[in-house]
Amino acid sequence: MKFLQYNFLMSENEKKSVIGFWGYPPPELIKKYKKDYPLAVWVDLDIDFGAEDKRILPDSYCKIVKNIINNSFKYKENLITILAPIGKDKCDSGWFASEVLKDLGFPVIPTVFEDIAQKKEIKISTSNLPLRQKFEMITANIVEEQQKPLKQIPPKFGFWGVPPNDLSILELFPDETHVYGWTRCVEAGAPADIELEMFVDKDVPTVFYSQSFCSKSQLAKYLADKYNGLYIDIDDVATNSTRAKIEAFLRLR
Amino acid sequence: MSEKQINTVLDAGTTWSKIVERNGSDKMKPYLNYMVKEENGVKYYILPSSELKKTNIIFDKATGHMSLNLINDKKDYENEVIALTNGFRKHVSEDSMVLDMGSRDSKWVLFKNGKFKDLDWNSSCSSSTGATIEMLLKFYNLKSENLQFNNEKYVITCGIFGLERIMDDIAKGEKSEEAISKFIHGIAHNAWVFAKKPEKLYLSGGFCENECFVQSLKQYCEVIPLGRFLLCEGLLG
Repeated sequence: MKFLQYNFLMSENEKKSVIGFWGYPPPELIKKYKKDYPLAVWVDLDIDFGAEDKRILPDSYCKIVKNIINNSFKYKENLITILAPIGKDKCDSGWFASEVLKDLGFPVIPTVFEDIAQKKEIKISTSNLPLRQKFEMITANIVEEQQKPLKQIPPKFGFWGVPPNDLSILELFPDETHVYGWTRCVEAGAPADIELEMFVDKDVPTVFYSQSFCSKSQLAKYLADKYNGLYIDIDDVATNSTRAKIEAFLRLR
Repeated sequence: MSEKQINTVLDAGTTWSKIVERNGSDKMKPYLNYMVKEENGVKYYILPSSELKKTNIIFDKATGHMSLNLINDKKDYENEVIALTNGFRKHVSEDSMVLDMGSRDSKWVLFKNGKFKDLDWNSSCSSSTGATIEMLLKFYNLKSENLQFNNEKYVITCGIFGLERIMDDIAKGEKSEEAISKFIHGIAHNAWVFAKKPEKLYLSGGFCENECFVQSLKQYCEVIPLGRFLLCEGLLG
């Protein structure tokens, strides 16, 4: 089994067996599909692979959900299925995308993963890994969990939110940045845990990020005001001014 | 190693570049006609950024959208908000906020108890800032001195809609300077809301010289204009 997270050249054989997913499908379903299709390549459809814009969604719309639709077309010929979270573990846009893709003839399995009873220990979000690597490891662990001892460090800064479409903004932060919000919930194996999603260390200067046009911007803006953090939303890739704003926040706080 | 001397600094905005030169540096000698003042041997220049691009002057330190090709080393570039913050420090009392209204963006920095507290940078919407006003004044052949505070304001959610209001009202017979004044009043109100409705505001940037804007902003809070060279002062240290 292979997990495709970033640009990756597949062999012809591999192209015949792709399992697409977004968000965090239920682990037991992932396990079943891994067993049934041991050679499948897993593609996280949330990620920006530079797929052609099929112009199915409005121009002003969440870039992550646009990625889902456009990536589905990119891998259409090779898809075994799409595991499509539609519950509180993802968002309404995920639910709508699932219906749109079904209507367009894609093999879609809607999933709900709202169990928050069994939570895993947080080790990556609070580690000394570079921030981008933290995000990459957390999302990669959805399909293939890696167990590595990670050094824990106290936070100098926080980053709250989903994995951004433009992952390069994470490189602006020092390694002593802890991860909060939905990404932390994913690490905990509880993507629908709203209490954990709203948790931050209140004295840690935190950047509250949301993808533009995402309903999570409601939480991001509210929490940024509540905890005196910095609210930012980015549509596709970050502008120089947005980068400078983050840099200024990190240097001045 | 001795510390680098910072004598000539640049704040290169989208349309206007602000330059401060001190300690007898004469890099700006060919541009003396752009000097706007000289105080205690320190020279202050304002020239169109398009003009500056044609020169081969290398500045000791710089900030702003247009400055990257005018420094020797990336290390000589400073983030605009940092330059603004550093320039503002000497004006800071206990709780103070500075708002910099530029050609295409606006940013504010808040100090509480004399320490940095918060910032925001409206970096994407250019419609309601300096460049739009300059274009309007050129289009209607007016000068900012022609504009007087107007108690009415356009509610401007987007600069393009604001332009539409101006054109509609002028078509109905309103004087262009009155319509633009209402537009500026709308921008001033937006700026105050963007800065989270402070009671007192230090103002930086080209709008300091626009009396209509300053008077409009004063309807909402106390305003202390600090001029156009605050970011340069932040670069000088």
